[in-house]
Amino acid sequence: MADFLKADIEKLMDGVLPWPAVQDMLKSPKDPNRFDKYVEIVQGRVDWKERILLPLTPALFIVAKDGERIVKCRCGHEFGDYRVNWKLASLIHVRDDEASIAEIYKGRELPDPGWVQIREYVCPGCGTQLEVEAVPRGCPPDFEFLPDLDTFYRDWLGRPLPDACEYADKTLDAIRDWSR
Amino acid sequence: MGDASALRLKDRLRANDEAFARTGHLFGLSKLARKESDPGTYEAVWHILSNLCNAAWSVGCKVSSSPIAAEGGDALWALHTPTGEAICISRGITAHPGLLADMIRNFIELGYEDYPGFHQGDIFENNDPHYGGIHAPDFDMGMPLFYRDELVAWASCVSHVSDCGSVTPGSIGFLNPDCYSDGLCIAMEKVGENDAFYPWYEMRIKSRTRTPDWVLGDARGRLAGCLTIREKLTQVIEKYGLDFFRDASQEYVEDSRRYAVGRVKTQTVPGRIRKSQFKDLAMKGKRVLLGKQDIDCLFNLPMELEIEADAKVRISLRGASGTVPFGQNISPTALKSGLLMGYSHIIGFDMFNSGPKAAWEVEPPPAGSWANPFEKDFSASSGVAWAPAVMWLSSLYEVFGRLFQMRGFVEEMAAGAATTMTAEFAGINQMGVYVAGLTLEQACNGSPARGFTDGENSAWCLYTPNADFGNAEIAELYYPILFLGRNIEPDSAGYGRFRGGLGHTAVWMVHNTPGIEYQCGCAGIRSKTIANHGMYGAYPSIPDRPSYAHDTNLRELIAEQKPLVHERGDPENPNIAQVVKARELVTSAIAPFVTPEPLQNYDLIVHPISGAQSMGDPIERDPKAVEDDLNKGWVRARVAEEIHGVVARPNGSSAWFVDEAATEKRRAEIREERKRRAVPFKQWWAQEKQQVAARENMDPAVLTMWRTSMELSPDYGAELRAFWDLPEDFEF
Repeated sequence: MADFLKADIEKLMDGVLPWPAVQDMLKSPKDPNRFDKYVEIVQGRVDWKERILLPLTPALFIVAKDGERIVKCRCGHEFGDYRVNWKLASLIHVRDDEASIAEIYKGRELPDPGWVQIREYVCPGCGTQLEVEAVPRGCPPDFEFLPDLDTFYRDWLGRPLPDACEYADKTLDAIRDWSR
Repeated sequence: MGDASALRLKDRLRANDEAFARTGHLFGLSKLARKESDPGTYEAVWHILSNLCNAAWSVGCKVSSSPIAAEGGDALWALHTPTGEAICISRGITAHPGLLADMIRNFIELGYEDYPGFHQGDIFENNDPHYGGIHAPDFDMGMPLFYRDELVAWASCVSHVSDCGSVTPGSIGFLNPDCYSDGLCIAMEKVGENDAFYPWYEMRIKSRTRTPDWVLGDARGRLAGCLTIREKLTQVIEKYGLDFFRDASQEYVEDSRRYAVGRVKTQTVPGRIRKSQFKDLAMKGKRVLLGKQDIDCLFNLPMELEIEADAKVRISLRGASGTVPFGQNISPTALKSGLLMGYSHIIGFDMFNSGPKAAWEVEPPPAGSWANPFEKDFSASSGVAWAPAVMWLSSLYEVFGRLFQMRGFVEEMAAGAATTMTAEFAGINQMGVYVAGLTLEQACNGSPARGFTDGENSAWCLYTPNADFGNAEIAELYYPILFLGRNIEPDSAGYGRFRGGLGHTAVWMVHNTPGIEYQCGCAGIRSKTIANHGMYGAYPSIPDRPSYAHDTNLRELIAEQKPLVHERGDPENPNIAQVVKARELVTSAIAPFVTPEPLQNYDLIVHPISGAQSMGDPIERDPKAVEDDLNKGWVRARVAEEIHGVVARPNGSSAWFVDEAATEKRRAEIREERKRRAVPFKQWWAQEKQQVAARENMDPAVLTMWRTSMELSPDYGAELRAFWDLPEDFEF
C-alpha cells in the first residue's frame, strides 16, 4: 500500500510535483490515510486554530468552532452554519448585461445576457473569487455540497465526531428568515 | 454453475436479480473464488478477453469502409455474459456498452429465446430509441455465441453510420422534428443467420440510406468484429475451460462493481452534491423543417447525487426540462449507458464493464423531459439524443473532482468537459460521388483542467478514449474541402488557476464540387450560453461560434497570391472579416445551423472545436504559466492582464516576460476591486427576486425551460419558488 510523503502531496497541490511522481500517485493503490495528511497540510497553511473537519474547496473549510460547524475561508472569514449554502453569506458580483460580460468575453465570445448571467462569489475577507456560476436568471445558486459529516466520521473514518448534528439543508430556513 | 446454465435465460435473469437483491453482490457472488484461488490466471484471462475485444475493433473498423469507422474508429465491440452483462469492452465509443447490455437483456425479456430462438450465427440488431437505442445512426448488434451447443456468451457491437436515412443527410439529426423523421429503423430485429445478413436487410439499407456502400460496409465491419470475438473466445474456452470462463466472466463484473463502490467509499465523502447545467438550441429564424421548430430552446440538465452511508450513489435529474421538437431527446436506457461511460472515466475504470451500474441507482428522469421523453411524447425525436446527455455528463467530472479534493486525492480531480460541435457535408464530392458524413474534428477536444495542472490541448474526447481528429488528408479525400488551417485556439478553455486543455480551429475551403451542404451540428454545444463550470472561481470556456463566408473572392486572392485565412484571429476583429469579401459573411454564427444555401467552390468555413473547463481563481494562476502561454500564443495579452492579473511585456524580441512585482500589485488591486464592486448576497437576492418575479430580461426560451422543469418536477418547482420567495402558484 502506498504511503506518499506529505511533502509530495504539497507539491502536487502546488502544481510542482514532477510528472513521473504524479503518475506514480495515479497508478498506485491510494494511501488510506490521505485524508488525514491532507487535512494536516491545509491546517498548517492557515493562520487560525479551529479544527478543519472537511476541506470543502481549496479555499473554504468546514471547521469546528464553539460546538458548531461552520464554513471558514482560508483567510479567516466565516460564513456560518455549513448546512446553509455559504454563498448566502458571501459577496456577489453579477454580470447580466453585455457591457459587464464583455469585460470577460469579447466579440464572438460574448454569451447572450438574456440567456445567462455570470455570478461571481467573492470572499468578503480576502477577495478570492470562490466560485463562478453561469446560469439563466431564476436559477437558485448551486449548493454544491452538503456533507453528511457524522456518517463520514462515524462510519467511514471510524471516529465519530462529538456533538452530532442533523444532516439537513438549512438554506431555505435562512431564506424564510429573510422573507419575514 | 452447472445448474444455473441449465436454466432458461429469462429464468437466469430473474435468479440473478434476486441474488443481487438478497446479497448485494452481482450473481450472488459473495466470494470471488477464481480470483482468490488463482489471481494470476484471473488477471491474465481478463487481459486476453480485453484484447479479444480490441482485436474485434481493429478488424471491424478496417472491414468497414466508411471514414467514420475506418479513420475515426467510431465503433465499439463487447463481450457479454449469456444474460447480457458486459464482461469487457473494446476501445471506441464507450457510451454504448450499457445499452448493448440492456439490448441483449431485452431480447431475452421479450421471449426471443422461444421465438425466433437463439442459434449460432444469428445476428440481431436494434437502433430504435423506443427500445433502448440511443439514436438511429448508431446500429447496435448482438450475436449469441455457442460452445458445444450451449449459449455461453454474446458478442455485441455498435457502429456509427454516416447516414441513417433521416430527413436530413448525415448522422447528426438535430433538425429531426419527430421520430418518424429519424430514418431507417431496426426495432429489435433478427437481421441475419448463419453469419450472413438477410438479403432484405441489405436491400433496405440500399434503398433507405444515402450512402449505402458505407452503411453496408459498417454492417460487415460489425459482423466481422463479432465473428472475431467468437473465434478467439472459442480458443480461450478451449485453453482455460468452460467452467473457468463462466465463473471468471461473472467475477469480472462483480469485481468491477466492488471497485466502483470501494472508490466511492475510500475517495469521496457521503452527502448531497448538486450541479446545475444548461444548454441552448437556438433555432428561431433559421432553416428548419417544420413551423413548430421556429423556436429557441434552453435545456435544464440538473444533476444531484446523494452518496449514502453504504457508498451507494443515487443520481437524480429532478428539474430536467421538457422534450423539444428537435432530435435531442434521449431514452433513459441510453442516458444510463452514457452515465456508465462517465463512471468508467472517473470511478470504475479498473475493469470497464457492467459492474458499476450496480453501484448506483438513477431515479427515473421526469416523464416528458428530454431525458425520459416517450412516456408523454412517443413521437419525440432522438436524432442526436446524445447532445443534452453529454453536457449533463460533463457535470459528473466536476462533481467527482470536488469530492476527490475533499479527501485529498488531488491527482484525481478534474473540471468539466468540452462540447461537441460537428461538421457534416452532404453533396457531390471531387470524385463525382455523393457523400454525406461527418468530419472527425469534434473527436479531439481539450481535456479538463486537473487538480495539479492544465488540461491537454486537442487530446481528449468525452465519448471516446480514441481522441483522434483523423488525418486532414484523409478528410480531403472524402469531402470536397481543403484544409487552410488547423490550429490550437487561444483562450478557448476558460480562465482559471489551472486552465482546461485548449481546443482547435479548422479552416476549410470548399473545393471542386458543384455545391455541398455544410451542417454545423449540435452533438452537445452551447452557442448562446456558456457552461456552468466555474469550478472554484474559474471562468467557463467560450460559446461555440463558427464562421463562414459564401460566394467569396478567394479565387481571386489565390490568383493574386494574397494572404488567405488560416486561423480565427481576434474575437473582435476576426481574420475572415479582414481578408475575405463575400456575399454572405457570418463571423459569429449561433450554432447549430445548416447554411441557407449550399456552399460552393472557394467558400470558407472556420469551424472551432472547444477546449475544456478550468478550475480555480484565475488570479491564482502561476504567472510563469501565463508567460509560457503568451509565448506560445495560447493566451492573449488582454486576458493575461485583465483576467489573470499578470503584467507582462515583450522584451525587445517576440518573447514575453512577466513583471512579478507589478503582477503582485495588480492582483492585490483586483482583489480590492472585487470587494468594492460586489454586494452582500442578501442585498442582491432582495433585488433579484423582484426581477425573477417580473421575468425581467429572461428570454422566452428561459421562461419555457423553467415552466416545464417546474411542471414536470413539482418538488423542484417548490424549492425554486421558496428560494425566490415567490407565491406558491407562481409560474413562468
